[in-house]
Amino acid sequence: MGVPAFFRWLSRKYPSIIVHCLEEKAKEYNGITIPVDTSKPNPNEVEFDNLYLDMNGIIHPCTHPEDKPAPKNEDEMMVAIFEYIDRLFNIVRPRRVLYMAIDGVAPRAKMNQQRSRRFRASKEGVELVEEKNKMREEVIQRGGYLPPEEIKERFDSNCITPGTEFMDNLAKCLRYYVADRLTNDPGWHNITVFLSDASVPGEGEHKIMDFIRRQRAQPNHDPNTHHCLCGADADLIMLGLATHEPNFTIIREEFKPNKPRPCALCSQMGHEIKDCQGLAREKQGEHDEFADTVPVSEQEFIFIRLSVLREYLEKELTMASLPFPFNFERSVDDWVFMCFFVGNDFLPHLPSLEIREGAIDRLVGIYKDVVHKTGGYLTENGFVNLERVELIMQAVGVAEDNIFKKRKDDDESFKRRMKEKKKRMKADKGPSFVPGGQFSPQALGGRDRPMAVQNARQAAYEMRMQGNQRNQDAAQSLRAMMRNGKSPAGASNEMDNRGVKRKAEDSDSEPEPEDNVRLWEEGWKQRYYKTKFDVDVTDDEFRKKVVKSYVEGLCWVLRYYYQGCASWKWYFPFHYAPFASDFKDIKGMFSDFEKGTKPFKPLEQLMGVFPAASGNFLPQTWRALMTNPESSIIDFYPDDFAIDLNGKKYAWQGVALLPFVDERRLRAALADVYPDLSPEEVRRNSLGSDVVFVGKSHPLCDFIRELYLAESHEETEIPAELCHGIQGILNLDEDPILPDKPVESPIPTLRDISSNSAIGIKFKDPQYDDCFVFKAVILPGAKIPDKVLKPGDWEQGNRGPWRPQLGFNPNRQQAHLDQSGFRKLNHYVDRNQGRGQFGASPSYGAQQRGGHYSNAPPPRNYHQGNYRPPQRDHYPQNQYSRPAPMNDAAPYPRFQHGSHGWDRSMQSQSTAYQQNQQRGRGGWRPPQNQQDSHRGGQQQGFGKGYGLPPPSRRNNWN
Amino acid sequence: MASTDVEDFIGQNRHLSDLVDTFRSISESEKHWKSRREFLFRNINDFEDPHLDQLLALSMVWANHVFLGCRYDPVLLERVSEMAEGIVVEDAPVFKTRDELIKQQQQKR
Repeated sequence: MGVPAFFRWLSRKYPSIIVHCLEEKAKEYNGITIPVDTSKPNPNEVEFDNLYLDMNGIIHPCTHPEDKPAPKNEDEMMVAIFEYIDRLFNIVRPRRVLYMAIDGVAPRAKMNQQRSRRFRASKEGVELVEEKNKMREEVIQRGGYLPPEEIKERFDSNCITPGTEFMDNLAKCLRYYVADRLTNDPGWHNITVFLSDASVPGEGEHKIMDFIRRQRAQPNHDPNTHHCLCGADADLIMLGLATHEPNFTIIREEFKPNKPRPCALCSQMGHEIKDCQGLAREKQGEHDEFADTVPVSEQEFIFIRLSVLREYLEKELTMASLPFPFNFERSVDDWVFMCFFVGNDFLPHLPSLEIREGAIDRLVGIYKDVVHKTGGYLTENGFVNLERVELIMQAVGVAEDNIFKKRKDDDESFKRRMKEKKKRMKADKGPSFVPGGQFSPQALGGRDRPMAVQNARQAAYEMRMQGNQRNQDAAQSLRAMMRNGKSPAGASNEMDNRGVKRKAEDSDSEPEPEDNVRLWEEGWKQRYYKTKFDVDVTDDEFRKKVVKSYVEGLCWVLRYYYQGCASWKWYFPFHYAPFASDFKDIKGMFSDFEKGTKPFKPLEQLMGVFPAASGNFLPQTWRALMTNPESSIIDFYPDDFAIDLNGKKYAWQGVALLPFVDERRLRAALADVYPDLSPEEVRRNSLGSDVVFVGKSHPLCDFIRELYLAESHEETEIPAELCHGIQGILNLDEDPILPDKPVESPIPTLRDISSNSAIGIKFKDPQYDDCFVFKAVILPGAKIPDKVLKPGDWEQGNRGPWRPQLGFNPNRQQAHLDQSGFRKLNHYVDRNQGRGQFGASPSYGAQQRGGHYSNAPPPRNYHQGNYRPPQRDHYPQNQYSRPAPMNDAAPYPRFQHGSHGWDRSMQSQSTAYQQNQQRGRGGWRPPQNQQDSHRGGQQQGFGKGYGLPPPSRRNNWN
Repeated sequence: MASTDVEDFIGQNRHLSDLVDTFRSISESEKHWKSRREFLFRNINDFEDPHLDQLLALSMVWANHVFLGCRYDPVLLERVSEMAEGIVVEDAPVFKTRDELIKQQQQKR
């Protein structure tokens, strides 16, 4: 589900599922980098067995990053990918398996989405080049300076599709990478590496799921394997839940909105392409040594603990007094199913269900109501009970009318608020108060330095009086306004205004996209079907057809998640979904899918998803089919297509109305050009196999070597005892990686591996009968991890205050500052606040000083809401952990050391905590090694009550 | 060809119309199919068997243009419009193509 909103919703509702990753960085001594030894215990205080990489989530950011300059050529891209994998490996440190899956040919159901993405990407690429050229000319005409157009091939991200040369190259490079790490990296020595490249059909994450499903259905599987899956797609969460493995964690990049991007024209930060001035680049550092460092913090990673999500769901979904026994695992499957209504890659979402509007909560509410009547769960092992689903749909349908009306209301009031805010912003022409006289702001580096402050009390008093005067003025004019019922300024300005045409009030509000459907008005259903499908609402037959297709789709998607791809051919043949209220008599609408369907070949799929503009990735005669007017499939490749904004604002949010591909005609047309393929292209077009690699010290290595020596071309099963109970079928590779056979580097900048010690062989997942059903249950022998969430009855147990668990380890040692640490902390915090308030408002300043002198109850609490230190996201280290130099110059010591200091340190300790809470991100968290050295501080009694802020706080996605 | 003419034509060419009916795609509504069927009837004599797929492609080019808002090469569009001369489409939907949208949004900036 490419819905970023889903993840945001989930992490807000269930904050404890998120744990920040601790990452050990390579150290440098005397200019020599010492790599991290990943065979050491994991600093995250957890050990993972298997790490799965959904590679497309890595390839895209490494080949065309959004927050830094793009790599110059393919070699650099490959190196970036290697480094990214190294980073992940260092964080997760798997002990048994590393599984890398690149997207292969996808099921037909996904083709519509792929087509739409690639048609758009191709157009966006062209538009960017056009804008660049236009701006470049303008800037140069104005006499600006731009770095000469680098000779780099424009990278068409569309080449990240199975069957292209790029993907073929990537597979080769990854083989080299694996061989290199297995040979040279001690952390890799005992792990089994699986590589499923683009020549193996199936989407990456689903190939991974297939692997897990097929392993856990065989008797040797270790039910307590700890899985870690890397990828940013929200549906990984669903997939993870669908496995019913108790130990499942997802790792992904922390999402930070509005990250600065470099200008596409001059590669400098700080402005967008349309504001590019073409100014000469400033030197970064004295000798320009920081030229390539981008002033943003490195992307950090977070863990998403599905075991904790399961705890939350258990709390939410448990139902008492059901007419049938409650089974939590089954209710999780139903929850996953309902999430599909809200959005997935294969079906458009129902118009009434928007994740932003709390659609999932609504569905869960309805579910708990309705499940009493249904007599059982909606799904079992990935098969849908349509009769029961209809009851849910009908319940949603009843609410539909109100949902649309409420959406309109919310929308309107949001717009009104934004408009008012805009108006306010316009009215505010700078800070409402700027101190004058000796306190007036001075430009930094100006010629005359500010004088030392004299007679500060008197000056502050005057300023306060001034402020009072202004308050009185404001109050007076307000009173006048209320009396006269019009704006006080209006009286004097009336004359001037006459004759001047008032600007249209909406001049700065965004023009509305036209919406002909108007779901909030009577007759919405009729208009929806008319505008979206161009049919009459009375056309029951057509509507039934749409509903039937959608029902098939729901069955297909659920099956895809729980059993694997049921049909490579099936797809949803419309651009829009029906209404929930249209799901009537759906029970008989679906029986089963066509058996024995085959995926497309890679080049066939390229023909299905590429626009003519990306034809350069295809052989000459194949490409001609995309452009020749006589071609028998020319209709698949429009030059331009309609976008239905569908209530959204930007083109990229809208629905791309692309024609669907007629599979029969595509295959017929390709039959004529198949003979034109070169042997190389034939190879790229063929189905490949997964490959497994191990190092010399792995028990499986000798076994595989024997196979190669015996040249046995029969399929051989892995002996389960050699590889942690992992099973599968081995087949000799034609061009294998073998120990002591040098591996040539495909990248000029990297060395060949002369003394290779890795071995590779083809691998096939364990095979099962066609009618085998993978059971969605917890396996016998699986231990459910300890609970993390606060039990509902904690207070009754009289067990003292609840301490939230911060990481993976429930017995984690907390770090504490000792007394002198708090003194130091307090010293700086105190001053910082003083300075901040001073400028903000003199009257508060005076009050605070009173507080200081009289040592009255902690003024800090009072001020907490008024002053917040500026956000310092750019500093990964917290400001408290090192003295900020500016404080050294602060004119007044703010408190006396001694007995007071002790009191204060206790107070300020609490403020420091609150502050951390408020600031959300950037909370103080010691690196692992420091933690140990601080343990001595624990005996300080006061440290206990004020733990560090829970890490989940750091994830405020705003 | 008025609609009665189409009915007559179907009556006289049962075999042909059965064949043409197999070309209807699942997402086509009655209205869209009727128009495209007429397009096929009008031109089917010019495209004997091995070229039938080309006719189907051209009919889809025309239908995608009229009912989905797709743009193709002008020469190609010209050709299909000629082939479709005389087919009456009532109340054809109106679309905004991606290029038009982008242009519009750029002007606003």
